[in-house]
Amino acid sequence: MELDWSVVGRSWDLLIGGTWVTLQLFVWSLALGTVLGLILALMRLSRFRALRWLSLGYIWLFRGIPVLVALFFAFFVFGRQIGLSPLQAGILGLGTSAAAYKAEIIRAGIMSVDPGQYEAAEGLAMTRRHYMRRIIIPQGIRVMVPTYMSNTILVLKVSSVAVAIGIVELTGITRQLSNSTNRPIELFTAAAFIYLMLTTVLVIVQEILERRFSLKT
Amino acid sequence: MDWDVVLESFPLIWKGASKTLSLFAWSLAFGTLAGLAVALMKLSTTKSVSRFATLFSWLFRGIPLLILLFFAFFALPEVGWLLSPFWAAVLGLSLWTAAYQAEVIRSGIIAVDLGQTEASDALGMTRSHSMKRIILPQGIRIMLPPFTSNATTLLKQTSLATLVTVPEMTLLTQRIFSNNFKFIEPIFVLAMIYLAMTTVLVVGQQIAERAFRLKT
Amino acid sequence: MNSDVLVRVSGLHKSFGDSEVLKGIDFEVNRGEVVAIIGPSGSGKTTMLRCVNLLERPTAGRIEVDSRVLCEELPDGSMSFSKKAEIRAIREHVGMVFQRFNLFPHFTALENVIEAPMAVKGLSRSDAEARAHELLESVGLGHKADSYPLQLSGGQQQRVAIARALAMDPALMLFDEVTSSVDPELAGEILQVMKRLAQEGMTMLVVTHEMGFAAEVADRVLFIDHGLIVEEGSAKQVLANPKNARTRAFLRAVLERAPMAEEGDPAPEPAGSSAPGLSQIVEGSDDVEQ
Repeated sequence: MELDWSVVGRSWDLLIGGTWVTLQLFVWSLALGTVLGLILALMRLSRFRALRWLSLGYIWLFRGIPVLVALFFAFFVFGRQIGLSPLQAGILGLGTSAAAYKAEIIRAGIMSVDPGQYEAAEGLAMTRRHYMRRIIIPQGIRVMVPTYMSNTILVLKVSSVAVAIGIVELTGITRQLSNSTNRPIELFTAAAFIYLMLTTVLVIVQEILERRFSLKT
Repeated sequence: MDWDVVLESFPLIWKGASKTLSLFAWSLAFGTLAGLAVALMKLSTTKSVSRFATLFSWLFRGIPLLILLFFAFFALPEVGWLLSPFWAAVLGLSLWTAAYQAEVIRSGIIAVDLGQTEASDALGMTRSHSMKRIILPQGIRIMLPPFTSNATTLLKQTSLATLVTVPEMTLLTQRIFSNNFKFIEPIFVLAMIYLAMTTVLVVGQQIAERAFRLKT
Repeated sequence: MNSDVLVRVSGLHKSFGDSEVLKGIDFEVNRGEVVAIIGPSGSGKTTMLRCVNLLERPTAGRIEVDSRVLCEELPDGSMSFSKKAEIRAIREHVGMVFQRFNLFPHFTALENVIEAPMAVKGLSRSDAEARAHELLESVGLGHKADSYPLQLSGGQQQRVAIARALAMDPALMLFDEVTSSVDPELAGEILQVMKRLAQEGMTMLVVTHEMGFAAEVADRVLFIDHGLIVEEGSAKQVLANPKNARTRAFLRAVLERAPMAEEGDPAPEPAGSSAPGLSQIVEGSDDVEQ
């Protein structure tokens, strides 16, 4: 069996188009996941039991089901009711699923801050709002960076699952091209290469962030 | 939500549970064995061996699982390796899990106190003996939580096998979408079954953790 | 070759990265001799001991144990080490007891003692167990055979560790600050076991802060400072009449801190061994060297 890599060159524009859709899915679902995750994390640390239970229930649910099931719900149920485009439904499904993981990461980061920091802040008569924002969360971020970033890499890769609700992102376009040209080896290798480049960029970003947030000694 | 449809959907979806579970079991077994091999290679003092292991992890952690599945399903037949959808899915899932389990096993091994290796060395034990009898049994205790969390992820990711036409639970759910044009009820049933399965895994982990606890 | 010499070390150098910890050490240990190695933290005494069974790989020098060469310098200046199997064969005859015990926490005391004899020497389980019971009995822990390490006190754990090393029938025993990780009041039970071992004629190389033990049990004392043997001689001479100013300063510092060892709650009497009787001159605690 002869490999013919020229098919990758001929399909390059389409692959890049798919990559662009992948990046849109990734960035928006990451944003949704992070914001929702932060809210869920703060709810879990709240004084109010109802909020804690609500957050716990959300996290248990979305961590217990495959992301594909969350996508199905966002697309077939929620999306049909309020008329979302597949891309919007995809962002919603991926984002709500990511939020459950982000919430746990953010909570663990906040919890890792030494209790002495709270005591010191309260001793200085700071409001809870103020010291969470200025004292606790900045310190928690340092602890969160590695786990947050490795989860973010997962979010990028998991976005490929959106092919199941008909979004033609990188994986989807590759499958289509592979069917029409009958060159699966070359095309899937090319897609794998593009994903590897994207994930490698994220690993580099992670290293930069870790360095930037490390404590000066 | 129509509860009659829920009740009708359940047996239809449940029929796929055995496929889901066997995808899970085979991939976990192969993935863990391969992961152990990769972890030991990564710890090897021979440069080329540890480099190969690092490359393996980078590759299979950097590519989406779905690409691996499509590769196994669409591309391998081109080189004459014709796998059934089920085994193509097991291959993709195993390679993907192996990369993650390797990291878990490696960190478990290096978390074991260096003094344990030194004591084994000083007693004249071979490296393979001390790995088998002294280091791994202690590492397992440390590995258990991340190992289970990988296993839980794997269980959920078996749902992607629907895209390479393995008739597991998710595929049967999609069949109800297209045949009956019902959505929320089958999705609800599917979610509940996965939740039950992942919850069992987490409970299993807690039991196992108690069993491996050091006697004090 | 003099067969009375069990350990022969010459020109031993060891560096960790840029820092040179051992700067040329020469010494010999005769069969049946007990040699105590003393010196301040960071002087290199632990590193030196760990070189004797190649837990640390020297950067230069020659080590010979029981007429077998573990490592030597080649004419071109590079180091040549024995093959893995030969190193293992030598380690079979060199027992080591660590500062932090390093017992296998998932094994009972008995299982700790029988593992290596069965795996390395090929003893049957029943033979290994019979010997292990004997050894545990001899360190006063016959009744603790089925206990797990975390269920034992530091002193008891260290005595199990000694039994574990003895189970290999070593020709030489290495002791690396074996009382530094236990409460001062439990040190005595370990020293008692070591003392009896010395009386039975075991060849021992002992890195220690227990000056009382060194004075009473050691045939010879080496004082190490900054990676060199500064003073060497009989225990009486080095400890009572040190010639070198650095030895004198070190001993004075240790003696001034000694009364600290007597503070603290009285220990529960450890089973099977009587602790006191030794003049304990204990340095409260010591950081692991390196």
